[in-house]
Amino acid sequence: MDRLSLYLDPQIRDWVLFPITLVMILVGILRHYVVILLQSPPKKLSRAATREQRALTRSQILRATSSNSPIPPAFYKSISQHLSEAYKAGTYLKDGPPKADAPSSAPNPLSDPAAMDGMMAGMKTQMVMMVPQMVIMGWINFFFQGFVLIKLPFPLTLGFKSMLQRGIDTPDMDVRWVSSLSWYFLNFFGLNGLYRLILGGDNGADSSRDMTASPFAAMGNAQPGQPQDFNKLFKAERDNLEFAEGLHNWVGENMDIKILRKYGKLAAL
Amino acid sequence: MATTTDNAAQLIFAPNVLHNQALTSVKFLSFCFAGAVAGILGLENWLGFALFIASIVSTSFIIYAINCRGKPAKYLPGGLGELVNPGQDNIFTFILVWTLFYGIIHVYD
Repeated sequence: MDRLSLYLDPQIRDWVLFPITLVMILVGILRHYVVILLQSPPKKLSRAATREQRALTRSQILRATSSNSPIPPAFYKSISQHLSEAYKAGTYLKDGPPKADAPSSAPNPLSDPAAMDGMMAGMKTQMVMMVPQMVIMGWINFFFQGFVLIKLPFPLTLGFKSMLQRGIDTPDMDVRWVSSLSWYFLNFFGLNGLYRLILGGDNGADSSRDMTASPFAAMGNAQPGQPQDFNKLFKAERDNLEFAEGLHNWVGENMDIKILRKYGKLAAL
Repeated sequence: MATTTDNAAQLIFAPNVLHNQALTSVKFLSFCFAGAVAGILGLENWLGFALFIASIVSTSFIIYAINCRGKPAKYLPGGLGELVNPGQDNIFTFILVWTLFYGIIHVYD
């Protein structure tokens, strides 16, 4: 079966094989730049709002190294207690300290315009990703149909015959002889690595990302921070701070004893 | 956010970790060349995939011996597994380049 070899016109190679690959590479690069251009810059927050968002991060940074901390206990405790007081009094909240009688509520994500922008942006990029692929598939099906393009070096099962030999009605031909649409699929999967090389890791041309991402993923990214009620978060953070304070352990503690031991001036443990 | 810390994670310097991701482009290029070799030699079926496996082994070995100096865990977060893993994209890249060269050289005159 393998000894039978079809003779293919070299012009097919020049006018179909290379052009399809070239077009797909160029369209991928185009998609990447279109996605970049379509992304609207993130909305600038006011100073108070930014301070509110960053306040949590401050205590998280402090807590992250508490059990192996580079700062001595006096400093750590003073920062920790200052933050704790500030959270309780609500000095970092965007609208100032909460009034005793006003109920606190989180903004509704559907009505909050900033979150809607995030969702729209995600869906726009999805559309940009899909459209070129459909167009190229249509172009290939229209112009490059009905002939054998290339022979695959590896065998496939008969089930693939209908997909890879579309337009060629030969029931007995080896599945390894395939039409141009299968070359499109090979390129579709195989060019991701090339895009990663030329466009950098996080590029907009990556087709493997299209299948895993969805507008819901983009929504998930846009939401955090907006509907959260910072007052409640601050209260929770106070408990965390207290816990971490209990765990605090300075790396420089007993440093004099450790150094003496290291150089043998003091009896080892 | 967890209140316990990962002491080993504290010692990692992020920009260096990012730089070591250059490993992925090294792997990509080596699989491109391996695909070209497989195509030019006219390897078929399992011989081609055997070359793929051989190229994974030799690339990983060279990086292991020369770059990581026998300690991949020190340079890569995933350790030995991440060093050897070809990555999902690279398998398809290998097949694409293999098919391309096989077609150019052996199918067309």
